Amino acid sequence: MEDIKNRVREVLTDGCLDYKQKKHNLAYIAESTQAYPKVSDEAMEALADKKICDLFEGSAPYRPRYILPDYKLALKKGIKYLELDPPTDFDEAINFLSILYSYVPSITGYSVYLGNIDQLLLPFVADLSEESIYKKLKLFWRYIDRTLPDAFVHINIGPEDNIIARAVLKVEREVKQVVPNLTLKYDTEKTSDALLNDAIKTVFEVAKPHIANHNMITTDFKGEYGVVSCYNSLPEGGGSHTLIRLNLKKITDQHSGNTDAFFAETLPKYCEMTLDIIEARIKYLVETVKYFETDFLAQEGIIKLENFSAMFGFYGLAECVNTLMKNEGHDFTYGHSEEANQLGHRIVEEMKQHVDARPLPYCEANNGRAFIHSQSGIDIDVEETAGARIPIGEEPDIYSHINAVAPHHHLINGGISDIFHFDDTVKRNPQAVLDIIKGAFKKGMRMFTFNIANSEFIRVTGYLVRRSDLKEFREEGSRYGSTSFAANSMDNKNVDKRIAKRVNSNERTASQY
Amino acid sequence: MNALQANISGIIKSSVIDGPGNRMVIFFQACNLNCMYCHNSHTIGLCNLCGVCVQACPTQSLKIDTANKRIIHDTETCVHCDTCIKVCPENSSPFYKKMSVENLISEILEVKDFISGITVSGGEVMLQADFLVEFFTAIRKYPELKHLSILVDSNGNVGLDKWDKILDLTDGFMIDIKAYSPQIHKQITGFSNEKILDSIQYLDKKGKLDELRLVLVPDYNNGEDEINKISTLINKLSPEVRKVLIKMRKHGIRKKYTSLKEPNPEEIRKVQNRFKEAVISVFTI
Ligand code: SF4
Ligand code: SF4
Repeated sequence: MEDIKNRVREVLTDGCLDYKQKKHNLAYIAESTQAYPKVSDEAMEALADKKICDLFEGSAPYRPRYILPDYKLALKKGIKYLELDPPTDFDEAINFLSILYSYVPSITGYSVYLGNIDQLLLPFVADLSEESIYKKLKLFWRYIDRTLPDAFVHINIGPEDNIIARAVLKVEREVKQVVPNLTLKYDTEKTSDALLNDAIKTVFEVAKPHIANHNMITTDFKGEYGVVSCYNSLPEGGGSHTLIRLNLKKITDQHSGNTDAFFAETLPKYCEMTLDIIEARIKYLVETVKYFETDFLAQEGIIKLENFSAMFGFYGLAECVNTLMKNEGHDFTYGHSEEANQLGHRIVEEMKQHVDARPLPYCEANNGRAFIHSQSGIDIDVEETAGARIPIGEEPDIYSHINAVAPHHHLINGGISDIFHFDDTVKRNPQAVLDIIKGAFKKGMRMFTFNIANSEFIRVTGYLVRRSDLKEFREEGSRYGSTSFAANSMDNKNVDKRIAKRVNSNERTASQY
Repeated sequence: MNALQANISGIIKSSVIDGPGNRMVIFFQACNLNCMYCHNSHTIGLCNLCGVCVQACPTQSLKIDTANKRIIHDTETCVHCDTCIKVCPENSSPFYKKMSVENLISEILEVKDFISGITVSGGEVMLQADFLVEFFTAIRKYPELKHLSILVDSNGNVGLDKWDKILDLTDGFMIDIKAYSPQIHKQITGFSNEKILDSIQYLDKKGKLDELRLVLVPDYNNGEDEINKISTLINKLSPEVRKVLIKMRKHGIRKKYTSLKEPNPEEIRKVQNRFKEAVISVFTI
């Protein structure tokens, strides 16, 4: 109790947190008084020494980690709980969504998904001029950034070229905000080169959108999907109860024996343990908290339990491969030698098999199995490289880079990301990026994210921060929850040396208290 | 298929500065000009197997292979000190390779999904025009490659008949104008420029001149008279030709030319203004 009191006091008196951030952190402390969902002692130990990481979801899950409301349905039916009738015009639609957003739970307290916004708003365009759409969206964007100040808040556009998608990109270039994070769904048939080109020029300005391989991702889902938070692709009208990630570096460091033994014993053991934790957390959320019986989103059908699954994440593949290679007396490194890349690929394949072989309750969205996710890292990952990425600063030339990582992508239905860095000169030649993105998708990449060196925005593991915000935060705190996360990341890694990865937000901040 | 080979000094598989889109760039060895500011002077000459570099190499990484008339380079022991290049009396290098059309095609196939096209550059590519004919024809015939655009980056210093050979196989040409006055041209490059001026106008007439570049060398080609003459020439060309003003940079130039000076902002602005007065839009890099 004394301990709790001290933690609470520390939050209350922390001058770097605003009122809302304090409330969020206090809730985390309160949650931590509850016993963790029942798992084996060994699993608890693995969580404690970070071989398995629950990404600070808290010890008593009372809301799913990732919720993707079916906004289309909500707009059509209205929401009784919020006394909202279906909107009849553009202004009403924006107002409706603005209200609904603030009620969507997540780990950070801010909705990770704001919908495929162009598809949602197109039916309300009527005879509005381009100019007035732009103006309305600009205000909407300001509202989103100021009231949902978290870089994991993610919005989607595409795949069709349309007036809203174009206006969104224009607003992005103009307002240069960190929030919302943005993905363009790119479809070889449906997306015009002109829209992709516009998106690329927007990346030059604000380091977003990410480009998603729509043709590929869409085959992994029964219905619509959304890209949320940090490159997580999940079913709309559902989401993921939880995301637990396996630290491949840590389990390899503690593995004694050769590579065969790793595949025969260590990897399966920890995959199962990760899945045990996932199962326990799902059951707690669904059966103990009874979230889906009590929350209005579920009651009104905006989300459905059958559209949920869970996420099995992993990270530190590069270190895992390099260590296994070294133990076998080889000097092959991940990203640079075919042997190492092959081993990396085999590890991902085996993990996928373990995940697919394990039935989980309440995971109907993926036929009773978890989605596998190459987790893009958080600030505490000092030694581990994000997901299946090649370590920052060690990336080979662009083709070798793509060839090394692309083979993983078709397996990772929960989302995977790699970040490519371009020199400033490419700004004069956006077509070059377009060529490379198309080539990358042909090679089977699921998602393409790129950065321009020295941009005003810094990509931390999966989200953006402004260079200036980082500096300010270190001195006096920031309006954005994710900035503190980023500051930790920047201090831990040379991410601003090479501009790097993407992270999750407040959950980590909360766990510090 | 054919026995023709070209001397290739290097290949860049991804370039964003050699024409529109992402491009593979193939550099050909040997040039028929000798520009003072050449950043890659080791691509000017052809190797005559004199052996100077072999003697000079501090790691004994070079050997003359007399039977095959070439130099063998041991990449394992080479420390990339560039001594060999610096001592070569021929402005050549022991590193360029003979490659066949098939060799180049297989290089392109590796990256075909990622590029808009290829650019051939030099050295002076047109010195190997016969090879280009076979090479470009092969690309146009290859089902997976025929959509690629082909750009030629040349100094323009060849007779008109040479252009005719590859005109129909090529999407566009990028040509340098080093100076307008033959005397100044001679100072900068060692050669006169009649052929170049003819080539520029010929390629433009054929609708194939994509880009014209002027490398600005203060005290040589930035005089008022010179820029006016160049403007007059440009104004005779179709307006679609992209005009690029390039600031001469001293990076990598030969020792004997280090007294050249890079243009300062004032000098660049002056030239830009001249072009502006002549209603010519130039892009400065
Ligand atoms: S590269 Fe130059 S120095 Fe070396 S053998 Fe050839 S001509 Fe002589
Ligand atoms: S760069 Fe040339 S001189 Fe230097 S070690 Fe290599 S081969 Fe020898």
